[in-house]
Amino acid sequence: MRRATSFISGPLGAIVLVVALMSVAMLVAGTSPIDGFSALIVGSLGGRSQIGETLVATSALLFPSLGVALAFRAGLFNIGAEGQLLVGAMLAGAFGGFVSAPPVVAVVVMLVLGAIGGGFWGAIAGWMKARLRANEIISTLMLNFVAQYLTLFVVTQWLLGPSATGAETPWLPNNYWLPTLIPHTRLSIGILVALAIAAALQFLFTRTVLGYEMRVAGEAPEAARRNGINLSRITWLSLALSGAIAGVGGATIVTGELHRFNTQLSPGYGYIAIAVALVGDLDPIKVCIASFFFGILEAGGLAMQASAQVPKDAIHVIEGLIILVLAARRYVAQRSERVEEAAASS
Amino acid sequence: MSVSPPALRLRGIRKAFPRVVAVDGVDLDLFAGEIHALVGENGAGKSTLAAIAFGELRPDSGTVEAHGTVGLVHQHFELVGRLRVWQNVLLGREPRHGWRIDTDAARKRVGDLAKANDLTIDPDALVEDLPVGAQQRVELLRELERNPSILLLDEPTAALAPAEIQGFFGTVVQLAKRGTAVLIVTHKLQEVIAFSERVSVMRHGKIVAAMRTAETSVDAIARAMVGGDLPRVAQRETTTLRPCLTVRGLRAGGKEGGIDGIDLDVASGEIAGIAGVEGNGQTALADSVAGMIPFRGSIAFSNGRKISIIPQDRHVEGLVLNFTIAENAVLGRQDLPGLRHGILLDRARARRDAAAIVERFDVRAPSIDVKVRTLSGGNQQKLLVGKALIDEPPFILAYNPTRGIDVGAAALVQSRLLEARNGGAAILLISFDLDEVFALADRIYVMYRGAIAGRFDRAGVDRAVIGRLMAGSQ
Repeated sequence: MRRATSFISGPLGAIVLVVALMSVAMLVAGTSPIDGFSALIVGSLGGRSQIGETLVATSALLFPSLGVALAFRAGLFNIGAEGQLLVGAMLAGAFGGFVSAPPVVAVVVMLVLGAIGGGFWGAIAGWMKARLRANEIISTLMLNFVAQYLTLFVVTQWLLGPSATGAETPWLPNNYWLPTLIPHTRLSIGILVALAIAAALQFLFTRTVLGYEMRVAGEAPEAARRNGINLSRITWLSLALSGAIAGVGGATIVTGELHRFNTQLSPGYGYIAIAVALVGDLDPIKVCIASFFFGILEAGGLAMQASAQVPKDAIHVIEGLIILVLAARRYVAQRSERVEEAAASS
Repeated sequence: MSVSPPALRLRGIRKAFPRVVAVDGVDLDLFAGEIHALVGENGAGKSTLAAIAFGELRPDSGTVEAHGTVGLVHQHFELVGRLRVWQNVLLGREPRHGWRIDTDAARKRVGDLAKANDLTIDPDALVEDLPVGAQQRVELLRELERNPSILLLDEPTAALAPAEIQGFFGTVVQLAKRGTAVLIVTHKLQEVIAFSERVSVMRHGKIVAAMRTAETSVDAIARAMVGGDLPRVAQRETTTLRPCLTVRGLRAGGKEGGIDGIDLDVASGEIAGIAGVEGNGQTALADSVAGMIPFRGSIAFSNGRKISIIPQDRHVEGLVLNFTIAENAVLGRQDLPGLRHGILLDRARARRDAAAIVERFDVRAPSIDVKVRTLSGGNQQKLLVGKALIDEPPFILAYNPTRGIDVGAAALVQSRLLEARNGGAAILLISFDLDEVFALADRIYVMYRGAIAGRFDRAGVDRAVIGRLMAGSQ
């Protein structure tokens, strides 16, 4: 019993379980798991362009995942990374598509506008929570829909590009693009920005008073309140920072990958980010690894669909399964902790 | 003893939890008509043994033989808050009138039962509205209603006022006279001496001493409990008093457990103790002094609001269980100039402080990097008190600073509080443990129903008068 428990709760056990579940999913979809897995691996890591695509997806996931992890650490369930990412991306796209500036300045301004847009969107939910006690799960989720339709409205009304086929802003001038990191791939240096943010978060949590206060608020809000920590401030600040990180991510997609804003630019990165953050134990470094793992699934999934006839939706089934496995893992770990506690206090 | 077989016979009882052996080979006989006290420190295994005797827990090995029905009054209440007193007492055994519950008969039955046992309670009150002491009486009534031949009482007087304790034991003695076998799990040794016939002492899951109460003393029992001499508490030194906290006309909280017009003073160099039964406004007083709830009236500190708090609930209010000792040592001190440099937390300083607390307050842990969750209650409490006292604060609010911890840890906490007082700190001590208030306080305020019912200096303390005031009589 005890050995089974520690196996399931260990990372190796989780991987074995996930692979087993994926195999079942592939069998259900009518493909041999061996074909499916090889297509997945080859399609995501089989060459320079494949690795490039995997890292593009990694980068797109990493920003909102870090944002979500930050909020979760502070005890705030930010389900709204998707909306925060969109608002940030739109501001960046609006600037890049319409305003002339020296190229380096323009790129920096776009990233900053991304942070401001996403941060503002997160701060709305933070303010609602701190002032009106509105549950942030509901408000951040609902703000996603507001963001989706607001960006659609704003872009079609005022920001439509001349060659647009959908709700798109004009193309960014070439010199507004983020430089490419690996030649002949679509990977921009945006991923370095994400890694820098991960490092900054690690620093925040381990070295700063604010990070300490956020963690206390997340672990034990009543203890925080009684030990001189201003919970309202932590709430809005955490959600604003969380949104800002997702917003910068939106801006890097605009300037690094698509080179314009499109209301459809995210296939749900903000939602997948919740799973990535949880898989990464809300730890900035582990979230980077988890993002890469999910990047493999995102990029390899397309290849798997093309060469092994496994529908890409199977990947989303797998992502759901991973979340289940992890939730079970947490539950098992918590339960054994509780049993020991009960014993210690008897 | 008597020739009749015991009402309850425990043989070779053993129960292990993942990290501790809670009960380790215990034999115990309980005879009809006797009051048997089972004493021991927190974590000695008393409650586990009671739960096994009741049949709530299954022992890993050993046998339990009971002749007759067994009743157990829990240390933590198991009542339905949204139901009335009579509904709780008669739950599942309501008198019927055809299809319906005969409410009149039920009320009368509970009222009579309460009267017969000298327990004051309104059968129609909602349990959730009752103060803790009254809830305990409901819990006892519920067991008495089943007319058990064996009654197990787990810390039954923890929430009762001295007068209520007298009444409660009056009830218990009557029950024993009528032939009930009574086992009382407790750590209040005065009660053991006053009311029990035999006493068994548990330590580390074993019965280490069994004696006739008439042939022993509080001291001997206490030494058996801790397995050696009792730790000594620090000496009280003469201090110069300077006003520190002045409270005037304080009103806060709601109808239940609120306070209404409290005046009190705490001077630097003294411990002002609040004596009172739980639920008489202590929490509202503590929370308003701590600035946690809105209040009316005035709370003035003569040298600035630099207060340090030992909160009531260490698990929820005082510590972060998933953080390490080093991380917890920072809590509540994160804005101190020495710990905070701009936006940065001085981790080296935090670790030094944690090590100092662990050393000075005897927190027993493998290292300062273990999670606080893994520490025993006593060690958690020592850490909590340590971080409140380490910066030598001018004012300390201590709310039940030794609740639920072992004698050794309690003596250490009390010593450190006295040392802080000797060093010139003003301490407001709120404690439900009257002995603790008597042991520590230079000045005692008695709280009853949200008001100060009496005020005594250490020299003029009269236990009997204070006990009566706590129960609301003059």
